[in-house]
Amino acid sequence: MNQRTSAGIVAIAVLVVAQGCVAPQPSQDLFAPTEAQLKIRSAQTRSFDVKDRQAAMRGVMAALQDLGFIIERANESLGLVTAARFAEPNYYDVVGVTVTVRPEAEGRMMIRANAIYNNKPIEDPKVYQNFFATLERSLFVVKQ
Amino acid sequence: MSSQVAGCVTHTQSEELFQLVPESAANRAIQTRFFETKNEAELLSASAAVLQDLGFQVEESVREVGFLRATKERSAREYGQDITRFAVFLLSTALVFVEQSPIVMPVDLHQKIAAALVTRPVNLDATRQEVRVMFYRVVWKGEGSTGRQGIPPGEQRMEMLRDPVMYQTFFAKLSKAVFLEPFAL
Repeated sequence: MNQRTSAGIVAIAVLVVAQGCVAPQPSQDLFAPTEAQLKIRSAQTRSFDVKDRQAAMRGVMAALQDLGFIIERANESLGLVTAARFAEPNYYDVVGVTVTVRPEAEGRMMIRANAIYNNKPIEDPKVYQNFFATLERSLFVVKQ
Repeated sequence: MSSQVAGCVTHTQSEELFQLVPESAANRAIQTRFFETKNEAELLSASAAVLQDLGFQVEESVREVGFLRATKERSAREYGQDITRFAVFLLSTALVFVEQSPIVMPVDLHQKIAAALVTRPVNLDATRQEVRVMFYRVVWKGEGSTGRQGIPPGEQRMEMLRDPVMYQTFFAKLSKAVFLEPFAL
């Protein structure tokens, strides 16, 4: 009886140790590009006929403000704007967005937006379409 | 209890969050003023000065794109909430008969009020500037309990501040500041 109990304890100890030894295997394709990624990137990116990066950034900031976003950070030299808004009418959810403005070709700027809803990436292309529609309006107002 | 209530709130569809709504234009009007000046940097530094006057600490500033963000932290205690908390406690003392402890509602304890401000030229010659400021706050609640279950402190609530008077006060101060500033020398 006593022997069986100690044998049981040893068996459990061995199991626990063995469990501890199994290292989680990093998945091989962790950084590999997938088709979904390319798709989402094209939805998140659009180029505009704007010469000046600063003007494009100001347009982005104005568009985000129109959409009720709070600008949190901006970096002129990197063309980066980070903003967030509360998912009103509820008080607990946050939507964050990072927009980068990069020169694409002469007189063209490439604008990319990444949005998250409570730390979960938004992958619905409709969201980005809506954003770019507002941005287009805002950039057009600047040009006038 | 509050988490149950939060569970009932319908989640806003994320695509709607990137869409202009009828209120967008009204919000924009409240949050925006125009100034006839070429000097955008001056307008930005005057804005920073006004925010400082109002007790804000500037946390982030980017002159090239005319951006400022400032915050201030204050107590969020309100008498009304304390009275409600006491009334609920008193009414729920009857729970003792079913071997439950009375309900202690969490009240708002602390808040962070923040302002995000952006200036930008609105015409090609840049003789007219637009200033848009947005105020918002994050409120933290204290602890409480419902029956046998304790509610830990630190629950967060966020809201945009939309009181037009707040914005009017800010812009009144700002226009005073930009008018006075050239005479400061």
